[in-house]
Amino acid sequence: MTSRTCKNCGCSEIDLDQARGNAVCTSCGSVLEDNIIVSEVQFVEGSGGISSAVGQFVSADGPVKAPVLGTGFHTSLGKESRAQTLQNGKRQIHNLGSQLQLNQHCLDTAFNFFKMVVSKHLTRGRKMAHVIAACLYLVCRTEGTPHMLLDLSDLLQVNVYILGKTFLLLARELCINSPAIDPCLYIPRFAHMLEFGDKTHEVSMTALRLLQRMKRDWMHTGRRPSGLCGAALLVAARMHEFRRTVKDVIGVVKVCEATLRKRLTEFEDTPTSQLTIDEFMRVDLEQECDPPSFTAGQKKVKLLQVHYLTLSRHGLACEISLYQDEIETELENSRPRLRGIYAVFSQASCSSPTEVDPEEDEELEAVAQHFNQDYICQVIQGQQQGGEGGGERGTEQSPTPPPPPKVGPSLNSILGPLPSAASLGLCESIQECFSVDKNSDDKSERGELDLDGIDDNEIERYILNDKEVRIKTDLWMKQNEEYLKEQKEKEDRIAKEKEQGTYKEKPKKTSKKREPIRASTAGEAIEKMLEQKKISSKINYDVLLDLNSKGGSPALPTTVDEPPPGAPGRKRLSRRKKQPNKTNLSLANTASIMGKRLRPLISSTPKKKRVTPNLTPAAALARPNISSPPTPTGPTLEENGPVAYDEAAREEEEEEEVEEPCVSALQLLGGNEYGCEAEEEEVF
Amino acid sequence: MEPSNDVALDIIITNVVAVFRTRCHLNLRTIALEGVNVIYKPEYGKVLMKLRKPRITASIWSSGKIICTGATSEEEAKQGARRLARTLQKLGFKVRFADFKVVNVLAVCSMPFAIRLIDFTKKNRPIASYEPELHPAATYRIKTLKATIQIFSTGSLTVTGPNVQTVATAVEHIYPLLFECQKPLRK
Repeated sequence: MTSRTCKNCGCSEIDLDQARGNAVCTSCGSVLEDNIIVSEVQFVEGSGGISSAVGQFVSADGPVKAPVLGTGFHTSLGKESRAQTLQNGKRQIHNLGSQLQLNQHCLDTAFNFFKMVVSKHLTRGRKMAHVIAACLYLVCRTEGTPHMLLDLSDLLQVNVYILGKTFLLLARELCINSPAIDPCLYIPRFAHMLEFGDKTHEVSMTALRLLQRMKRDWMHTGRRPSGLCGAALLVAARMHEFRRTVKDVIGVVKVCEATLRKRLTEFEDTPTSQLTIDEFMRVDLEQECDPPSFTAGQKKVKLLQVHYLTLSRHGLACEISLYQDEIETELENSRPRLRGIYAVFSQASCSSPTEVDPEEDEELEAVAQHFNQDYICQVIQGQQQGGEGGGERGTEQSPTPPPPPKVGPSLNSILGPLPSAASLGLCESIQECFSVDKNSDDKSERGELDLDGIDDNEIERYILNDKEVRIKTDLWMKQNEEYLKEQKEKEDRIAKEKEQGTYKEKPKKTSKKREPIRASTAGEAIEKMLEQKKISSKINYDVLLDLNSKGGSPALPTTVDEPPPGAPGRKRLSRRKKQPNKTNLSLANTASIMGKRLRPLISSTPKKKRVTPNLTPAAALARPNISSPPTPTGPTLEENGPVAYDEAAREEEEEEEVEEPCVSALQLLGGNEYGCEAEEEEVF
Repeated sequence: MEPSNDVALDIIITNVVAVFRTRCHLNLRTIALEGVNVIYKPEYGKVLMKLRKPRITASIWSSGKIICTGATSEEEAKQGARRLARTLQKLGFKVRFADFKVVNVLAVCSMPFAIRLIDFTKKNRPIASYEPELHPAATYRIKTLKATIQIFSTGSLTVTGPNVQTVATAVEHIYPLLFECQKPLRK
């Protein structure tokens, strides 16, 4: 294909032989291409003579991955997290979807939803299973399949409301407006499960009609569709002379018996229930009913009214009570709102209306009287002036004005003298309220407690005196003995550990304070960063190290020191060049080695501490020393974080050549690799 | 169908939740042992104190943060909170009444008509959501006001919002929408 003309003779006639994979010039016979890559479908013969195509199906989405050999366990290598998540999700969707008997199209749509969810970071903090279930249910709703959320929760053994919460959230975030559930969707499914045999279709149709009737009678708003379906199917079955009991139906429909009975009762209340079977099939009533809960509410109101009416029929006592209610409401509306200390009194007065009310009303009435008297005097004068003309009218009218002033003094005489202090006090309190309001604003800004409106005496009641405190303490101690014991044990344990010096602070999850890295070159900064951070499998260390000058790599051998004598449990690491053989480790081994190294390192840290003060200045020197092995970060960091003295220790190592090699996990991991590189470099 | 301006709807506030800080460390054990009306919950690390006068329940933490629930109006919540602080003061702590804030108000309201929930949800698609399998009411969230309204088919509403004014505004906001989807009464 690429060769149009022969190189030797310039001839353009080239013969391609697919079988041999050659491209040969026909004129001079020179072979131009050898081993041509063929992209044809090949067939192999399988067992039983069946020929099948050779090849694998690769998914269109997702990264091109290496063919999985063996168990396929090593999927974590070289794969990014997002792809893994999606692959995992896809697998779970297929699992769950096949249990629900969803077709491939639905599963694909569900996977698309899932991809959207992942890209919007909505999977964070949620269980994968919940998210998957929600995606599947979204598909069910949009496609209109007869799957209920209850089915999904059955399969997953998860509370249906939790699933519902996730589902609602996803629907809102993805802006997917799923149509409302129509109970008619569930009828064929449930009918099938109830095994009506040949007549399944007829029963379904009847049930559908019933449901539509129920809808128009407002029984279906706010109710679970499955409950309505159950009721409709039960009635339909009975209509077609199938003996399905309530238990059968609830087993299929998954509502409880009480719900079903209630639906049936509600249906009974509708006028449709009065029709015979034939009539129902033929006729459709025009009327629509109110929702049952609405009628229930109305009934309550009616009952109350009836109650009052019956009371009123019983004569005077009831009349008085009615009037009393009315008066009280009027009084409450007309009474001035009191605040301050006297609020307490005013509220207390509600309970004893007879005594206090008249006093306050007294005040109002007194004022009213005053105004009335003025007005009445004027009226009387006016009338007297007018009354000269019509004497009789005047005499008739004149008795009327005097009675009102009489009412005032008559009350006074009945009730006795007004406690003037109270009426005065009330005025004062009203004034106080206005002034105090301004004060309270200032006080709240300063954060002090505003004692306005608080009755100290009342609050004293909230606090027990000494004797009571003692009794309560005893009771409380007895009641909470277990808890107190636990607390004590815990404290003892902590005290012991403190003595032993092995006391570790309980994981309070404080972020490890890291000193800012002081480095002069990029390489140094990288080293220090690697030390501080945990070793990650996602970083290609080769690239990182190559960033630094190549002069750094030969320096590596020097820093790997002989292992200190007599250090127990340490892996003896020899020189650089031998490393590739010995340290051909997998990740698992690395971890165990690191684990072994951790303990010795803890005990050795005091040595390092001594060195620190002398060598910290030295540490600041610029050293393109990638090799300074990033120590296994865990324990050393726990003691203290600064990079400086690690480096100091390393320098010490180099100088003394006694210290432990502090071989980095980096080296253990990638040691062979760039050891090889170093070798290669040396070779080439 | 014009929304009537003089909507004489009874909005009844059933619960007001408020928080405040005492700016001082509180010893829960002392409070538990010396108070009359307290429940100590060591596993949660808090003390519940109930007051009778404004009927409120307060959760008190040792850090000095207090949440006060059960009041029926904002003023009552403040009064109850102050009373509570006074009680703590009497127990011997140096309390200060700081950062009082009403956090949540719950109110109920009843429309004089029934409502077609499915129609309502269809018309207000993304804002309203209705899942009969999960809850009998349709939920309508007003983002600007940060209020949530639950609408039942009988016409009752439950409104929650950060303060009383928001609740009132929310009801006014939603009344015309509900009016459109009302179900004409049979009677």
